[in-house]
Amino acid sequence: MYTVFAQTIINGLLLGGVYAAYSAGFSLIFGVMGVVNLAHGELIMLGAFTSYWLFAYFNLDPYLSAPFAMVFLFLFGYVVQKYIINRVIGQPHIMSYILTFGLHLMIANIAIKMWTQDFRSITTSYSGANAAIWGLNIPLARLVTFMVALLVTWVLWFFLMRTETGRAIRATAQDKEVARLMGVDIRNIYAITFGLGAAITGLSGSVMSPFVIISPEMGLEYTIIAFCVVVLGGMGYMPGALVGGLVLGVAQSLAATYLNAGVSVAITFIILFIMLVICPKGILGKGSVA
Amino acid sequence: MVLKSFRSILIVMLVCFLSVGFACAAQKAAWKIGVAVSLTGVFGKDGSLVKDAYTLWQETVNSHGGINGAPVELIFYDDKSDPATTAKLTEQLIVSDKVDLLLGGFGSSQLFAASPVAEKYQYPLISGGASSNKLFERGFKYYFSTLGKATEEVRGCVDIFSEVTPKPKTAAIIGADILFTSLACDGFKKYCQKNGIEVIHFELFPMALQDYNSLLMKVKNKKPDVLLVGSHLLVAMKTIKAMKEIDFSPKAVAFSYGPTVPKFVEDLKGDANYVIAASEWTPNMPYSGKVFGKASDFNQLYIKRFNRRPDYVEAAAAGGAVAQQEVLEELGLKPPLSKENRIKIMEALHKDKFETFYGKIQFGADGANEAHPPVAVQIQSEKLENVFPLEYAEAKILYPFKPWKER
Repeated sequence: MYTVFAQTIINGLLLGGVYAAYSAGFSLIFGVMGVVNLAHGELIMLGAFTSYWLFAYFNLDPYLSAPFAMVFLFLFGYVVQKYIINRVIGQPHIMSYILTFGLHLMIANIAIKMWTQDFRSITTSYSGANAAIWGLNIPLARLVTFMVALLVTWVLWFFLMRTETGRAIRATAQDKEVARLMGVDIRNIYAITFGLGAAITGLSGSVMSPFVIISPEMGLEYTIIAFCVVVLGGMGYMPGALVGGLVLGVAQSLAATYLNAGVSVAITFIILFIMLVICPKGILGKGSVA
Repeated sequence: MVLKSFRSILIVMLVCFLSVGFACAAQKAAWKIGVAVSLTGVFGKDGSLVKDAYTLWQETVNSHGGINGAPVELIFYDDKSDPATTAKLTEQLIVSDKVDLLLGGFGSSQLFAASPVAEKYQYPLISGGASSNKLFERGFKYYFSTLGKATEEVRGCVDIFSEVTPKPKTAAIIGADILFTSLACDGFKKYCQKNGIEVIHFELFPMALQDYNSLLMKVKNKKPDVLLVGSHLLVAMKTIKAMKEIDFSPKAVAFSYGPTVPKFVEDLKGDANYVIAASEWTPNMPYSGKVFGKASDFNQLYIKRFNRRPDYVEAAAAGGAVAQQEVLEELGLKPPLSKENRIKIMEALHKDKFETFYGKIQFGADGANEAHPPVAVQIQSEKLENVFPLEYAEAKILYPFKPWKER
């Protein structure tokens, strides 16, 4: 009984770590630009595919290919923001929804044309490796992803607080007009932020690639979860993605173990609904409400 | 001078009109066959297999002079794995494209939506990728399936356990909560009871489930001898990944669908070994017919064309196309088809028995193929082997499942 409960919590925390890893970029982009990026899942997909192709053609381990995914996604995000999304910044929110939804469809469909709709999987010598501690099972790939989530949150926090560019990003997020008056190149800051968000999302896609099924159309379900995680943790509050991810992961895991798997999916949306009605600023009360 | 130019223009226009006229006449002479099939979305991969099967059938038929002298022209539309879109596209094929005939796409939910449209317009609709029992319980006359019913299709996967020692005593059944897979789970349950295997866990889950680990951990804690999964390809791949991650090694694991799709073994590699899957056809079966020759010939042709072995659903889809072709040849019909002709085709499909590379096809009054025995295959050394029924078995079943830690 005790073991089952402990195992459920561990599963939930590891699942939450995965959620947090791929939601951090979503939170960053929303927090700075106010853009709900509906093409977020496609960034995860591109990160996972970067690892998949490097593994398939060069036998490069997914963890070693993660930096490539980050660089590729940073450049991709930077260009997409600078030449596409910048056009709707400052316009009504609906414009960014339409634009990013269009991007989601476009990227997914181009990926289908290029790579077909096959489901793909990376199987390495350590795939599925797990440790048994006191009778509890710990899948190692998920543990690594959990640690990546912690690291990403910490590095991002450090970057935003302690570096010149980070301060410029925070200044832009707080008041872009004043930031502009202080000499901040807003458009460039937006492009860097989106690039950064895309890079950490690509990193998550890459580190998740050993244990998820990769396909061009995988993105949407991740976007939905990322949205729930970020609402739960507080929109735009960076550590919120970690807290939101962990809470959602544990809630889903408890529901799957003690109720059933169907409820574990439904509970995501029940929590989302309750949060939006009762506490739109997130569990920690530090999110922004547009 | 002006008159000469005018005459030249007239001649050119006349030639153009005639060319268009001939082209139209040539188009009318072809069999226009429409297929609404999932090429994107969750069944995109499965649907593209069905498309490959029909494409090979079309190429084979056309290379032999077509059907009754008329070539086959296929029109594919992507239903994006959405049943409502399947119904809409089926109507579009009939009303706008004015196709002569239809062929079915993939997925019970999709065919469940498409078949009422075919019934309404009196178009025979043969599918090789849908087998839910509910498809056959509506009293439809125009819907046919070359697969057996979903609950029967999985029988081989359970019956095979009567051949192993020690015989499993308990089973856990899980599956995606959609039409085909939930019925496959019912089939697993039915044949577990018939074989004296106690079902200690039964759970359906939504396709959107991301976390298979928690669900399977719960199942693992109940220590079932075998795990039976109502699945499509994606569910099957996710299940294997999760089983390995949580170190869950029952004595056997069997899936209703997925492992027979070549991608399953290609990407999961050695992790796919020992997996059992339901099937209705393998290339070693002693079947033969007119269009493709023997089952093994069809297999070779497939490898030559697509550089891979066909899945049984592809064989079933091509088998359906062959049955329809044989009826057209028997009735001596030519395109375009009238409503009366389509009624005759429907009646002939109910009445005739077909000997094909896919085996015997005999549609019952409800449209299900009654002549097909269920098959179980197992992945051994990263290769699909027919393990049941025993008279067609290529290899002996490997039992029990080798624990993950020992691989």
